[in-house]
Amino acid sequence: MSLRQKLLLMFSITVVVAVAAVGWTVSVRVRRVFDRMDQDQTAAFINQFRHEFQHRADDVASKLDRMASSDRLTRMAFDLAQGGDTATYLTEAASLAQEHRLEFLEIVNSDGTIVSSAQWPARFGYKETAVAATDKPPFLKQEELPDGSSATGLFAARSVPVAGSSIYIVGGVNLDNGFLADLPVPASTRVYLYRDGGGTFDAHKLTGAAGGDVHEAVKYQGLIDAARATAKDASGIIFLTARREDSVNATAIPLKGADDDVMAVLLIANSRRDMVEVQKHIRAIAYGVAGGGILFAIAASLWIAAKVSRPIEQLARAAEEVAEGHWNTQVEITSRDEVGTLAASFNHMTSQIVEHRERLVQSERVAAWRELARRLAHELKNPLFPLQLTVENMVRARQLSPSEFDEVFEESATALKSELANLKTIIGRFSDFSKMPKPEEAKIHAKDIIQRVLTLYEPMLQQQEPPIELEAELGEDPLTINADAELLHRALSNLVLNAIDAMPEGGVLTVSGKRRDGVVRIRVADTGKGLTSEECERLFTPYYTTKEYGTGLGLAIVQSVVADHHGTIFVESMPGNGASFVIDLPAADEASA
Amino acid sequence: MFRRFVISGVLLWCALGASARTRQHYGGTLRVEVQSDPWQEPDGIARRLTMDGLTQIDSAGAVQPALSVRWESQNDDHRWQFWIRNNVQFHDGTPLTADALAASLTQACRYGCAWSKVYTLGQSVVFTSDLPIPDLPAQLAQAKFLISHQDSQGAQQGTGPFFIAGFPGGVMLFTANNDHWGGRPFVDTVEVWPRRSIRDQWMDMSVGRTDVVEVPAEMLRQAPQQHLTVLASRPENLLLLQIASTGSLANPQLRQAIALAVDRSALYNVIFQKQGEITASILPGALTGYAFLFSPERHLNRAHELRSGATPPQLSLAVEGGNPAMQLSAERIVLNLREAGFQVQMAPAGGKIQPDIVLRQIHLETTDPRAALDEMVEATGQRVSINGSDMASIYRAEKEFLATYTVVPLLWLPQAYAIGDRVRDLRFAADGSLLIADAAIEDAK
Repeated sequence: MSLRQKLLLMFSITVVVAVAAVGWTVSVRVRRVFDRMDQDQTAAFINQFRHEFQHRADDVASKLDRMASSDRLTRMAFDLAQGGDTATYLTEAASLAQEHRLEFLEIVNSDGTIVSSAQWPARFGYKETAVAATDKPPFLKQEELPDGSSATGLFAARSVPVAGSSIYIVGGVNLDNGFLADLPVPASTRVYLYRDGGGTFDAHKLTGAAGGDVHEAVKYQGLIDAARATAKDASGIIFLTARREDSVNATAIPLKGADDDVMAVLLIANSRRDMVEVQKHIRAIAYGVAGGGILFAIAASLWIAAKVSRPIEQLARAAEEVAEGHWNTQVEITSRDEVGTLAASFNHMTSQIVEHRERLVQSERVAAWRELARRLAHELKNPLFPLQLTVENMVRARQLSPSEFDEVFEESATALKSELANLKTIIGRFSDFSKMPKPEEAKIHAKDIIQRVLTLYEPMLQQQEPPIELEAELGEDPLTINADAELLHRALSNLVLNAIDAMPEGGVLTVSGKRRDGVVRIRVADTGKGLTSEECERLFTPYYTTKEYGTGLGLAIVQSVVADHHGTIFVESMPGNGASFVIDLPAADEASA
Repeated sequence: MFRRFVISGVLLWCALGASARTRQHYGGTLRVEVQSDPWQEPDGIARRLTMDGLTQIDSAGAVQPALSVRWESQNDDHRWQFWIRNNVQFHDGTPLTADALAASLTQACRYGCAWSKVYTLGQSVVFTSDLPIPDLPAQLAQAKFLISHQDSQGAQQGTGPFFIAGFPGGVMLFTANNDHWGGRPFVDTVEVWPRRSIRDQWMDMSVGRTDVVEVPAEMLRQAPQQHLTVLASRPENLLLLQIASTGSLANPQLRQAIALAVDRSALYNVIFQKQGEITASILPGALTGYAFLFSPERHLNRAHELRSGATPPQLSLAVEGGNPAMQLSAERIVLNLREAGFQVQMAPAGGKIQPDIVLRQIHLETTDPRAALDEMVEATGQRVSINGSDMASIYRAEKEFLATYTVVPLLWLPQAYAIGDRVRDLRFAADGSLLIADAAIEDAK
């Protein structure tokens, strides 16, 4: 990934993260605000409900108080206290209940047996246990009805004392959808009543202000069961459908009876639609802003990254050019900051490199000339000395007889010719080295070249005493390269000959060729005595040789050929472990050579 | 002398005045209001006004001639012959013949009858049966054997003291039959207002808009408090539970448990305000004298024992008739049965599913014990076999019948009406029917 791309990515991520953080924070805050509002609304409604509940309770209590203090009931109490016939008052409760607008009313004798019941007339004579709550605050009670159902009502009990005895009245109102309908409920709030404190959850027992079954009542089961089990308020979010807008914040409030057992559960459900829609709206805005911000950030990032990375890219390109050998590369200095300083330093560096290189080249040239002159002097000196002696012999031989002079002259002439031929050879090699031809590159198969070289020298290997074993490690790959076949042949031949020279007592010559990562590697290894590290360093220097008889130009020629083919050559060797010469050449496409 | 004359004159004037008050006058319209359909079979009030039977029961409970003038039993009560009254016509003018009688009686046999065959023999009608019917004359006095025939327009025509005059505004108008064989009724017309609630009837009575209204048994105590003059019969309506002998209650032990679980005293003391009498007998004690042998006591523990080990599914109890007292009684019985461990629910009347238990009332017409047992058992849709007409036989037959626990007698209740001030001589026949033909209106001149 380039610097510009990294910068772009960093800037974009920074903007995205920032926008996301802001959006999330706002969303959380909004949700919290709405949750608080919802809690406040619920709490207010609960207070209102409790107030209304208390009002209803007080209303029931006051009705019963009025009833208990009425003449009608007093006369009845007196009559019953005197042993009057209870049958006479069988329908009295129904009449009183209707008159006082109560849904439940029972008149109970002093012995606790029902005299008259408005809600279940047939229950006369049965015991009514609610008289135990006489003159206590109103309470919730589950009331069985003739049809087998039960109703939850808000009850109160009062006594009608007369003549040392008392009768009792137990009356109340039904806690049903009518009660719910009277509650002032906000438009977004629904109130339900679950009319059973125990047993397994029955969705049909949950009723709303409109009556009938509640839609998706089973979704509230968890809260209702929790309220019933713990006898405490239970709250939670209920998802009525898969859509978040249809979720509600529900609170289940247990309604307890006289014995503190849960008789019913009031369920308040506040719609979360408004909050969800605001959240969606905010989210949409956030996404829009974030999207715009990201686009802006990308554009800005592109400009900033370009502005920041351009000079660095220029520097990088300049460095590449320097690496490619264009040492006099200079970059433009466009600013005065650290990048400008870096560019200036780069320019100075390349100037210095150029200067140093020139000096180095000069000195290398001088050194090379000196070496060449020394070598040349050394090489030429050997054959020149015998030449001098031979000429001096011939001059001295003039003093001898003509026949002796002729003999000496013949011998001297032969010696002169031999030395002159040696001189010619030496000078010819120098000439060859100085006139190394440019390679005529073509697509060739290096494998073929190697096999030709091996075929050429195999007989020689076998003729060595002791013979040298040849191991060729060539695969199926033709090892296609762009090269001059003849020059390559010469180079490989030189290496093979060197290897043969390195194994005077026999050994193994291993030649391998492989292609890997776009490089063709040719290895020529011997099992001779090896080379020291110093020898390895100087091996490719012209005129350096470890042989007794050698010009020291062979490996230099090989190196020159390899370099001309844009390749490299190095040696791997340890004393006593033989030597491996490795040539790496760029591979070419597998087109037909 | 003069003083004696004055005293005699005063005494004579008082006597004349008194006789003027007691002497019945012809004329006037008698208004009667009822809750039910006056034509409901078998004993709707309209049927009694317009039809006669072969025999009738007088106020003393004796069987008297009606459309038949005499009868004769033969072959040890296996054959009866009834001679028809002459010169009697149906209201459409059709003469009453033996054939018409036989046809009417054959039609009435869909309610069940003791004879196996009825046929005419001259001016008489002959009944034959495989079993002896010693009480046939008493049976034939029942409302279900009232004689009628269908006229050319399909209407039922009788021979009774009144005939139908019309239905103006939903009110049934009956006009006196001047040629009735029993003599012309005193009142000219009878208006029968059907399907009037008790509340509305009493309201009309209180403002003098009606002459005869019904008084349910449970309201008999409060009727005098409403300043109503009440005419009550002997207890002749039996409140009973009819229990199915198939399905959930096929086990007679369960039925017995139900019978033992019912608390009759609560029904009697509270709901029916101590009117009538508690009973466990299908015939009234006044008729048989042995009703006390059937114990009406509640035995809840025994009911539990009989029910234990057999837990029937939920039972249904229905009420025949929409009477509030009946409904309340049924709810009370449901409570009683729940205490005995039965799961019972009230079933709506007229529902598609046959209820397991039905609370109903059956009216007893006949005063003959054997006929009464037949009548009551037949009213429950069952049959009883009575070997003999003596009381012991009847007792055994009743005991055997009640031992199946398909019928649980609860209370005998009276039939009662409240009558207006201007009504005179209105009374019950022994069969519990109102003798309207013998009633008169005081201010009719």
